[in-house]
Amino acid sequence: MAATLERGVALILALIVGGTTSFQLYKDWSSTGLDNQVTKLLLGLMAFGCVLVVLAAVGVLGGG
Amino acid sequence: MAVSALNTSHEAVAARYQNVDGAYAEQRDMRLMGFVLFLISDVVLFSAFIFAYLYLRNSVPNWPPINKDGVQLPRFDVAFAAINSCVLFGSGATMHFAMENWKHLNKAAFNMWMLATIVLGMTFLGGQAYEYHSVQVTWSGSTMGATFFTLTGMHGFHVLVGVIYLIVLYIQANRGVYTGSKYFGLTAGTLYWHFVDVIWVALFYLFYLM
Repeated sequence: MAATLERGVALILALIVGGTTSFQLYKDWSSTGLDNQVTKLLLGLMAFGCVLVVLAAVGVLGGG
Repeated sequence: MAVSALNTSHEAVAARYQNVDGAYAEQRDMRLMGFVLFLISDVVLFSAFIFAYLYLRNSVPNWPPINKDGVQLPRFDVAFAAINSCVLFGSGATMHFAMENWKHLNKAAFNMWMLATIVLGMTFLGGQAYEYHSVQVTWSGSTMGATFFTLTGMHGFHVLVGVIYLIVLYIQANRGVYTGSKYFGLTAGTLYWHFVDVIWVALFYLFYLM
């Protein structure tokens, strides 16, 4: 029960954070400069991390 | 001049960034390159330890490995780590918001998002401390424990340094060290925090999902 609740919370948080991060990446997509390029790369990888959390929460990854 | 300084559009943000004096711009660009090279060197450091973990993991027939009592060690708690991961990724988002608000001259919002980032970073560290307390492996008891504590401990140390760095940046920003056009310290802090987030993406996959 506790594990199911934890997975549910993780799923919701990952969707919120992943959506926010992806939206910020979309907004800043046309920005230039080394710092902005590095930021875009890191934001993209963070969004990917949220995808991993979603997959873990629904049991696709991590041995369910 | 005063009106354009208060202009918070994206064009004004870019203009403020580009219209600094040449000496500062050159110094800022060199600092940025140096900081990016530092982050790359940190990636190399983590890569070496991750390679060692993968090598050790592939050198045993079972994973989790079997301890000296003949019992297979349990896997780590994916659900708790997933929540803790969201806390850290969320702190990356709040740090991005803080930086954007600084660029758009919204200091109150910057302060709010910066504090949120610091709190989330400390919450992540608290979660790690709880996991260290509850996990059923030890540093010296198995390769699983040794690699887990080494890599996550090194990452946790980076997060701790990052939290201290953010607190210093928060104080500096509120003391007027940075302006709307000169804020390299904040840029470096943002990049460092995002880097710490991304390293955790790799560690989360390697230790909890693989």
